[in-house]
Amino acid sequence: MKKSGIILLVGAFLCAAAFLGFYYAGTASCRAMMRDAQPELAWLKKEFKLSDTEYARLTRLHEAYLPQCTQRCMRITEQNRQLQQLLANAATVSPEIQNLLAERAKTRAECEAEMLKHFIEVSRAMPPEQGHRYLEWVEQQTCLNGLEMEKRHSMAQSPHM
Amino acid sequence: MKTNPDPEQDALQRVLGEWQVKTPLPPRFEEQVWSRISQAESRPTVGSGLRLLWLSLQHALARPQVAYATLAMLLVAGALGGSWAARRQTTQFEAALSSRYVQSVDPYQKAGMNP
Repeated sequence: MKKSGIILLVGAFLCAAAFLGFYYAGTASCRAMMRDAQPELAWLKKEFKLSDTEYARLTRLHEAYLPQCTQRCMRITEQNRQLQQLLANAATVSPEIQNLLAERAKTRAECEAEMLKHFIEVSRAMPPEQGHRYLEWVEQQTCLNGLEMEKRHSMAQSPHM
Repeated sequence: MKTNPDPEQDALQRVLGEWQVKTPLPPRFEEQVWSRISQAESRPTVGSGLRLLWLSLQHALARPQVAYATLAMLLVAGALGGSWAARRQTTQFEAALSSRYVQSVDPYQKAGMNP
């Protein structure tokens, strides 16, 4: 009885040790990404198999893009706020509202164009095949896929779904 | 034996002692009683099942081949479990990072932005 108990104990220990060992080794890449200053870029490096040089270039592009993107975001937020104010007191679509809508649409278009430029630049910093894959992926994930409006329309048509 | 001081009880005891059952027992009554007793005794319980399992496990583990095979199986099970858990964790983590990247570059997905 004692011998069987020892065998099972050793088995349980081996099982736990193997589980922890494989788990630790399998999640090593996650821990390495988390140690990076920008884990999302570290993920990009891993996903699109970038070299250190390509990664450094991509990081520079990303860091240069973010402040401009934030500025445009603030502009759009401000325009949204102004529009909300005007709409709260408006009974008709005044010329001021029309102007603001046009201005906001222009800012959005500019924003999307800048975003696309950035994506193209990033894709060029990658090996051609990976760059192509990146462009396809990122265009699907962002507002450039143009699905936002359709989503809203489909939600509006089926409010009880 | 202690005698009952109550005369009513005495009378009852006497009547019960004189009472004879005239109704005949059903056929094979005794045999059926013993059969039910043996069935109740042989009915497996959870405790007896576990004990039986433990005994058969002990018996099996006494053979070195079975003991080594058990250890190897537990080792492989642990390795497979660890790999599966790591893959699941990595997939979730990478999905979270890819969303984070998209949120960082897409103004419409930034927090507080309503397109």
